[in-house]
Amino acid sequence: MAMSPTAMVARRALAAASQGSHEGGARTWKILSFVLALPGVGVCMANVYMKMQAHSHDHPEFVPYPHLRIRTKPWPWSDGNHSLFHNSHTNPLPTGYEGPHH
Amino acid sequence: MAHQAHAYHMVDPSPWPLTGAIAALLMTSGLAIWFHFHSTMLMTLGLVLTLLTMYQWWRDIIREGTFQGHHTPPVQKGLRYGMILFITSEVFFFLGFFWAFYHSSLAPTPELGGCWPPTGIIPLDPFEVPLLNTAVLLASGVTVTWAHHSIMEGERKQTIQSLALTILLGFYFTALQAMEYYEAPFTIADGVYGSTFFVATGFHGLHVIIGSTFLAVCLLRQIQYHFTSEHHFGFEAAAWYWHFVDVVWLFLYVSIYWWGS
Repeated sequence: MAMSPTAMVARRALAAASQGSHEGGARTWKILSFVLALPGVGVCMANVYMKMQAHSHDHPEFVPYPHLRIRTKPWPWSDGNHSLFHNSHTNPLPTGYEGPHH
Repeated sequence: MAHQAHAYHMVDPSPWPLTGAIAALLMTSGLAIWFHFHSTMLMTLGLVLTLLTMYQWWRDIIREGTFQGHHTPPVQKGLRYGMILFITSEVFFFLGFFWAFYHSSLAPTPELGGCWPPTGIIPLDPFEVPLLNTAVLLASGVTVTWAHHSIMEGERKQTIQSLALTILLGFYFTALQAMEYYEAPFTIADGVYGSTFFVATGFHGLHVIIGSTFLAVCLLRQIQYHFTSEHHFGFEAAAWYWHFVDVVWLFLYVSIYWWGS
């Protein structure tokens, strides 16, 4: 019977747990953490930093597409026209970008 | 009766299931009241009651297991089944949102421009912050495994270090995602793209916060000597949940961030 990915991960975790007496297990995972996992995070951080530098700073021209910026019901906060993570630089309202930008 | 002649746990009567049910009712009806009548009082009350219920119920379970010895091997086996079944139910929860995403993205309607991403949507670059987020969660899976082996080998200081590192990585993911949410050029109101993106990743983010909290409770318990090298199911449950959160992210990353761009 095929197992879901979650069940397989749980099985692997359970198998690891049952190997309680296997010596050096903690040392192996400590080494993996500092030699593979955390440097991997570091590389990806550097990659994001470099890509951010190469970005253009302009936002795209506003086109009032009817299938975007839907407002069938106002949000229950402030003026009901701004999403929860609204960013006036990158998120135009249905009528266009707010005020003088940048 | 002077002593029990079986290994199971007959739990003492408790008010927390009732307060939990009342809290859930207040939260849900409170949400509806907020939407229609702009008052947040009922919802806030529900939220506070929920937090109080969770704190006291789980505190009682810790008392019953760690301090009173009720969590014998058969009882622990039942708890394992319970956690596995719960995580399975969460898998199905996310399956629904993936279904919604694939339903809309495999056959994009003419209203969207007949393409995916829809016309006018600028998706996030999957090889920028989303890739970093993937590395962060995968790394946290390695550190939580380091923590587990440390517990099993009785390494107190290493357990605390690795568990703390795991939690920090969880916080880093949450911070990065919050920044992505703020900087994204699209919102939840941008058609079915926005809906599927923010609902799926939003619920995932909520689960990261829940998982980080669970791990943080384990850290506090580890510091207070609750866990032994043979018996630490609370930690194992937290670790399973954390791996589940990681796997859901991998599916989100491949489906929505990568294929969906």
